[in-house]
Amino acid sequence: MKRTSEIVSIFTRKLFPFMLLYGCYLISHGHLSPGGGFQGGVIFGSAIILLGLVEGIKEAENRFQEKALSLIKNIGMLVFLLMGFMSMFFGRAFLSDFMPRGEIGTVPSAGLIFFLNLTIGFMVGTGIAVVFYRLIKFGSEE
Amino acid sequence: MIGFNGITVGIIIILLGLFGVLTKRNTIKIIMCLYVMNSGVILFFVSLGYVVSGQAAIFDHGRTLLPMVDPLPQAVMLTSIVIGLVITSLALALALKIYEEYKTLDVKDLINKQND
Amino acid sequence: MKRIVPIILLLLLAFFLLSAIKINFGQPKTGLSQYYLNHGVADTGALNIVTAIYLDYRAYDTLGEATVFFAAALGVFMLLRKPGEGEKD
Repeated sequence: MKRTSEIVSIFTRKLFPFMLLYGCYLISHGHLSPGGGFQGGVIFGSAIILLGLVEGIKEAENRFQEKALSLIKNIGMLVFLLMGFMSMFFGRAFLSDFMPRGEIGTVPSAGLIFFLNLTIGFMVGTGIAVVFYRLIKFGSEE
Repeated sequence: MIGFNGITVGIIIILLGLFGVLTKRNTIKIIMCLYVMNSGVILFFVSLGYVVSGQAAIFDHGRTLLPMVDPLPQAVMLTSIVIGLVITSLALALALKIYEEYKTLDVKDLINKQND
Repeated sequence: MKRIVPIILLLLLAFFLLSAIKINFGQPKTGLSQYYLNHGVADTGALNIVTAIYLDYRAYDTLGEATVFFAAALGVFMLLRKPGEGEKD
């Protein structure tokens, strides 16, 4: 297999943690600034996809196991449903806010929206990575 | 008088995608045209909510000066983007399985092979 | 000659769709979004109104979208597995 060029490889290795950090920032500040769960999750997933394209799928799977990513995706869906039932447990409508709110303009100002953003973000990021793994490993030997 | 704005361009993109879906014979190209149609729908709805000289619907700590664009089509189209993404990936996976089974992606050939 | 049917269909659809050019571009249209803009921050506490609609006012939509995402990702996962993978016996 032909190796990728040194420049691309080194840049990817330097850029990779910052892409993950930027994805987490977009997810956690989704209710205060442009961004949100889905957008941050896509950046999170495309960091993994970039690693898989440049360093090879073996190297990407050393850091992010496909089983672990799939498990996070499944747990994310369950947690999303459980949050909806939690607000029913607290006497509100399904998926409506039941948490205490902080001052407007800070991260805990929106109550449940923050946690829903977190759930959607990790679900979308890991789901896209799992789909990429499956599509690229299909038909390859070993 | 037809204005050259986002609404008309969105409709033209939808029609282009539909033309591709109706005339192309390769499965991968049909999937690409479906995604082009999805992009046209997104452009149409987002520009439906545009307001002249409006800013994005994000408050700056409770202070606003300009008129704001309509946030409702943007929120609905966010859902549409996600659905388009995963439907495209599912369709590509199906195309891979079709190629593995029949060794062709041409629609006419697939119909002929099924009739044999 | 073979493309005559798609072109007729497209012209028919274009005739119906292009009635949308009568929409006056750039004017606010519904009172509902004015309600969201006026009361969104006080109701939900989120400064980003799109997120407020996406995850608070219309959270059911988001639940359906998450379900479709989950089902489609699971479909890819199941379709593209290697032969014999995941079978217990």
